[in-house]
Amino acid sequence: MWSTNPLIAPGDTVILWLTREAIQPLLIEPGKEFNSKFGSYRHSELVGVPYGSKVPSRTGKGFIHVLRPTPELWTLALPHRTQILYLADISFVTAYLGITSGSVVVEAGTGSGSFSHSTLRTIGPTGHLFSYEFHQNRLNKAKTEFAEHGFDTSRVTLELRNVCKDGFGDNVLKLLNRGGEEEEEGARGARGADAVFLDLPAPWDAVESAKRVLRKDKQTRICCFSPCIEQVLRTVTALNDAGFSDITTYETLLRPHDISSVPSLPTIAEARSKIVDIEVRKEEKRVLQVMSGHRGNPGKQAKDQDGKSRDAGVGEKRKREAKDKGDSDEKGEEGKGDEQIGEVEDSNSDVGGGKRIKVEREDRAAGDVRMEVDIEPDSVARPEGLTSTSGSSAEQKILTRVMPEVRGHTSYLTFACLLPQVVETPSMRAKRQKGEKVEMNEEETQEGNFNGEVREKMSTEDESNQEENKSGGDKDGMAS
Amino acid sequence: MSNPDTRPSSSSFEIRSSRIQSGDTVLLRQPNGDIKSVKIQKDSTVSVGRIGYFHCNELIGQPYGFSYDMEQKKLRVLPPKTLDDVEDTDATNELINDGEFVQPLTIAEITALKQSGVHASDIIKKQIEQHANYSLKTEYSKEKYKKRKEAKYSKSFTTIEPTLFNVCEYWFNKDQNRIRDIRPDTLSQMLNLANINPGGKYIVVDDASGLVVSAVLERMGGHGRLITICDTDSPPAYPVMINMNFKPDIVAPLVSLNWATSQEDYAPVGPPSEVPPEEIRSDRQKQRLRKRKLVNDALEKTREELFTGEFDSLIVASQYDPDGILQQLVPYLTGSASIVVQSPHLQVVSDLQNKLRNTPGYLGPNVTESWLRRYQVLPGRTHPTMNTSGSGSYILHAIRV
Repeated sequence: MWSTNPLIAPGDTVILWLTREAIQPLLIEPGKEFNSKFGSYRHSELVGVPYGSKVPSRTGKGFIHVLRPTPELWTLALPHRTQILYLADISFVTAYLGITSGSVVVEAGTGSGSFSHSTLRTIGPTGHLFSYEFHQNRLNKAKTEFAEHGFDTSRVTLELRNVCKDGFGDNVLKLLNRGGEEEEEGARGARGADAVFLDLPAPWDAVESAKRVLRKDKQTRICCFSPCIEQVLRTVTALNDAGFSDITTYETLLRPHDISSVPSLPTIAEARSKIVDIEVRKEEKRVLQVMSGHRGNPGKQAKDQDGKSRDAGVGEKRKREAKDKGDSDEKGEEGKGDEQIGEVEDSNSDVGGGKRIKVEREDRAAGDVRMEVDIEPDSVARPEGLTSTSGSSAEQKILTRVMPEVRGHTSYLTFACLLPQVVETPSMRAKRQKGEKVEMNEEETQEGNFNGEVREKMSTEDESNQEENKSGGDKDGMAS
Repeated sequence: MSNPDTRPSSSSFEIRSSRIQSGDTVLLRQPNGDIKSVKIQKDSTVSVGRIGYFHCNELIGQPYGFSYDMEQKKLRVLPPKTLDDVEDTDATNELINDGEFVQPLTIAEITALKQSGVHASDIIKKQIEQHANYSLKTEYSKEKYKKRKEAKYSKSFTTIEPTLFNVCEYWFNKDQNRIRDIRPDTLSQMLNLANINPGGKYIVVDDASGLVVSAVLERMGGHGRLITICDTDSPPAYPVMINMNFKPDIVAPLVSLNWATSQEDYAPVGPPSEVPPEEIRSDRQKQRLRKRKLVNDALEKTREELFTGEFDSLIVASQYDPDGILQQLVPYLTGSASIVVQSPHLQVVSDLQNKLRNTPGYLGPNVTESWLRRYQVLPGRTHPTMNTSGSGSYILHAIRV
């Protein structure tokens, strides 16, 4: 396993955490230097530093965290040689297969070693991992990694082998599995693996030989990892044909949550006052335009008024209110005048007519604005009060959402169990000894691995039963 | 690298016996899918719900995983179920109407058959024979019908190996509140994120009926140290652990403190264990004092161990405010240690994440939720299962720096 010392030593593999997205492994070799956009660091400077330290760069501008490797960090940092397994799948497979301290596990292929590292950690020094890889280059790289990380041959056996073509060989059955009940060679143990994990393009081709390396004195389990549902279907058929039972398929994913904090959510009161504010300003501007249209100098006046209203305070508002009133009063009178003129000059003056209609509308609008202006202090004050209290009491609202981009699918995990050889119950034994006909014959109960021939017999029995059932349900069948 | 026989003979502890022993608590799956937990005691009889009784001796010495047929308290091993290919036919439910009288066999008749000891398969056969519309059904529907009847009449059960996964699943389905909604997938992630391995030193706060403690103990394989902090004055009963059937060696790494004794300034309230010799009046008092001293010394030792620190990870699955728990326990973690906080409520871990993000000493706190979907994979009938659990709770993970 990786270093368990509190301090970093030469030859250690460490994990450099640059950012959440940039995590990478580093083999400490004094004399070398690590350079990145987060600064440059001499390996020799990292020696003697406690694991978990924040290390500043030589310039003091950047910093990195130096962490002790764990299989989970390794999965995030490892050099990809193949598509790799991630936490959700690895941990689920480990749990379902019952892999724990002391387990003997068979894995094919080794790939980039993501699953291997996690399994080696979990089974510990009393377990053993047999890992098969058919790609020479990947095998060599995995070999180097395991050696660098302190997993020696007592814990892992790596083998160059195409298990789909050539099976798993004899190494697994040579090892004494300490978890067994049988007395063998003076030690407790059984021959064979507790679990098999197949991450292969055609796992169905390896199912039969996988069955051979599983121990037969207790229930064992297999997992086939395939991205496509068509693969799952072929695997299920192969597992069923090979005598595996309890076949089931799962899919598991991680949903990372994005968490942010905000002072408080904006209220519709704020939105309303903003809209009202804009309306008021628009209105003022237009009224001014109309007025200045009368006075013959629209551009300048509108501009002035605009400038004023932009930095209008509460006092200003009141003034504006009064002015609005005055304006509209004026307008009203003007309007009346216009109307009178309009009545006379209606058909003659397009300009005058247009003006008159506008003013009429303006009157109504101005009234509306006045009403809005009346409630304005209230509606403005409320959101202002809100923001100020939330700001002072630092009452933050915490928002969570699922990260917008998440891994949507990795693979289907198809699991199955292999039952051990049958052990007679006392009553079964008594029956057999009395020479009564037991439903399973003697040979079957003793070597009674249900898998293979014996089970075939049973399944044909089952089938004939079913045929009986079917014909029984059929009326013609009954008549005959 | 091809000589596996050179493994060092480091002591290895079996997690549990691979055969059922007297005194074990065994999970039995009934034909209708319900799981029952029963205690197996030599020379006694056990009831499996309404399907009957069996003699415990029949099960002692059996490996896990087999199905048994129960007859007169005796067990007969059944062959494993295989997937049957269902032939596609042209049948549809066009001519089948609900509520039609199709089964002339009355309940009374069926009960009589059951009582006369007729085997479940024969009752089902009889029902099918009498069923007016059975031949109209599709092959898929016929399968379902037979399965449903089997679940009703079959007097069989299957033993379930108490792996962590199976025990967690059993408790999750039985009463997920008591294990704080920790689904097997979530539990497995907690163990991996906390980097649990044989020989490590861990602190666990488990208000989840001992599910997390059991899980960590299994992965430790009897090596290392596990300190749990509980909210009761005496070490808590962890009901989940009963289902694990651990061998005594496996439980050895476990010691417990509580929220009072785990305080560095804790002063024991209670009579002193050391009394001047002239005050000891009887042997009984002497014994009592010796016992009290042993308990006190063990407690002091555990406290010392906690305060010495350098623990490899902390797992929290607690009803208490995680912020306070972390403030107290994180100082005892070694650099680069893993911190895992689980909660059924997203708010709890998101509030914590928001806090830790701005607290020095915590690297990369992140919140995840596990998603799990199971599929029925049968020839011609592959689809996700209809019922899926909504959430398996939330995990916050951070690294101590």
